[in-house]
Amino acid sequence: MDNFTKLREIIALTFGVPADDITQTTTRDDVPAWDSVGHLNLMLALEDAFGLTLDIEDMARLTSVPAILEYLATA
Amino acid sequence: MKSSPDRITHALEATSRAGVLDALSPRRPTLSLPEINRLAARLRALPDERRPLRIALLRTYTTELLASCWTFESLLQEFELTLYQAPYGALLQELQPDARLDEFAPEVTYLFLRWEDLHPRLAGPITALPDRATVQAEALEYLGNLLAAFREKLPGLLVLTLLPRMTPPELGIFDAMAEDSEAAFFHELKRGIAQRLLPSVYFNDLNEVVDDLGRNHFFDARLWHTSRYPFSVAGAQAVVARLMSYPVLLKYPPVKCIALDADNTLWGGLVGEDGMEGIELGPDYPGSAYLAFQRRLLALRGRGLLLALCSKNNEADMLQVLREHPHQLLREEHFAAMRVNWEPKPGNLQAIALELNIGLDALLFVDDSDFECEAVRRQCPGVMVVQAPGTPLELPECLDGIPQLEVLQLTDEDRRRAALYAGRRKDQQLKATAASLDDYLASLEMVMRVGLDDRRHAARIAQLTQKTNQFNLTTRRYTEADIVRFMDDPGWLVAHFRLADIFGDHGLVGVALLRLDGETAEVDTLLISCRVIGRGAETAFLAHLLAHLAQRGIRLVRGYYYPTAKNEMVKDFWPRHAFTAVDESTFELEPITAPEARFFRVETEEAIAGIAGVPRLPQ
Repeated sequence: MDNFTKLREIIALTFGVPADDITQTTTRDDVPAWDSVGHLNLMLALEDAFGLTLDIEDMARLTSVPAILEYLATA
Repeated sequence: MKSSPDRITHALEATSRAGVLDALSPRRPTLSLPEINRLAARLRALPDERRPLRIALLRTYTTELLASCWTFESLLQEFELTLYQAPYGALLQELQPDARLDEFAPEVTYLFLRWEDLHPRLAGPITALPDRATVQAEALEYLGNLLAAFREKLPGLLVLTLLPRMTPPELGIFDAMAEDSEAAFFHELKRGIAQRLLPSVYFNDLNEVVDDLGRNHFFDARLWHTSRYPFSVAGAQAVVARLMSYPVLLKYPPVKCIALDADNTLWGGLVGEDGMEGIELGPDYPGSAYLAFQRRLLALRGRGLLLALCSKNNEADMLQVLREHPHQLLREEHFAAMRVNWEPKPGNLQAIALELNIGLDALLFVDDSDFECEAVRRQCPGVMVVQAPGTPLELPECLDGIPQLEVLQLTDEDRRRAALYAGRRKDQQLKATAASLDDYLASLEMVMRVGLDDRRHAARIAQLTQKTNQFNLTTRRYTEADIVRFMDDPGWLVAHFRLADIFGDHGLVGVALLRLDGETAEVDTLLISCRVIGRGAETAFLAHLLAHLAQRGIRLVRGYYYPTAKNEMVKDFWPRHAFTAVDESTFELEPITAPEARFFRVETEEAIAGIAGVPRLPQ
């Protein structure tokens, strides 16, 4: 499974939204459930799903699909 | 133990809430957040009837991220949860009336406080405090007033938690030896809290979770510094699982009695087969694991829970272990009721409940056998069933983490309850209705495969003649060479059967050795492994053999019974199958009438062609 497909599934699962609503350009402003609490839940879910350990700075800036995909590409 | 990923996969594939609970037992593996969400979604999709539950959280630090854990844990306990998180912090300072909280009318309210909320000096170094006793007294008084104010305002249960310290003791490894030990300081505070609780106010010590997980795994420093949320994913789920005990105890009937199987549950092996000397119970593994489990059960008895024994055995064998085995911890006086017999367990559990004057829904049943656990699940709904793990290592902890076994109070009467039952046992026997047992046996889809003179199985057949003691009519012991000789001899017939059901393939579990002489057949040996006793397999096997013998022109079948210390259970086997007694050990059937083979589909195995011993039909 490619990173985007997996990421989309995790976002959908974390926020309870349809996977189809998430696109390659989705940012947190596009998803009402992606508020500050939702964002932290997503960061924790990404750590589990992709086997990552994010530091505080990463957590603060990975607020969109493009940002996360770029991070995953270089992780 | 099955690996965590395996168990989590099983949980995700389970088709019932009980299935999810079983997959995650005995020791809950740490779930990832996606796994928690997926399991919650799966549970929500089940057609369970959930009880509504209203929980409120009052807090001085962030608890919003606990939401997925609350959702999952409540679905796991069959609750439909409505969660209210009170406005952050404000309630504590001013105890302002919160109209929304009043309207919400929580059934359980959790207080997530920090030590420094009780006294500002607790935010700084502890060991520098010149007046520890004063600080403790002031903190406890403040807490007392707080709890009284909440108690007045809020209905339902109130559960207090205090966030454990995030850093190791200030004095490092010296703390345990120091007169001004920090650990001792907080221990004293907690004792003080325990003394100041009010009706329906409970204190839950989260330090016990830190003991399980370790400080580093319990806290997540990143989330604490950015959002004032302290818990790691592992910490969060452990805390919420633990706190879910209160709603469960509030809303569901408590367990009052643990009914226990004995063989492979209280000790390793089968006392009827292996004898008291042969069971595993003592300082060496696996006996040490069974001993640890017995110790755990004694501890549970100390909580006011009753223990009952429900075992398929001869009573004499059982009593010998309870009275004479040097390592046996659970003696006769520890059991409030006992049913040791060959009757189906569902009926025995009903009798136990009746005798103890409790409902079936107050029973928890522990047994290692798929067959027994499923029989009880189907025929005694309401009884909580915990299957003893196949690995003895996991056995001692198999009853940990079950909310229904927790207690929220312990009176003197509770502590003494178990002892009051000793010596008052009555022996009322209650048979489970035949219909429900029949339904159960039919549902097992049992298949019996009968083989004749099959050399592939000679070793196993010989082994069974040597090991089987209880369901064994003549107790003759043979070697593999003997069995092969019988197979090669046209005057003998060596029959075996294998048994499979929905639980799996039990392997070769029955043997009959028949001596053929003209129109007469004598049953030299007939035995069945205790693994599959209690389902009527003997009748199906006998039916198949009699039909085969009749086909071969046999007109009279003679069977024998030689009593031993262990085979009392088969003393009426021949009369039950229409054989007439010729003398006290000899029984005959003429003409041959085969009984009905109920609940079994019986198939014949063909030995591989070309191997000597394939029976020839008579000329």
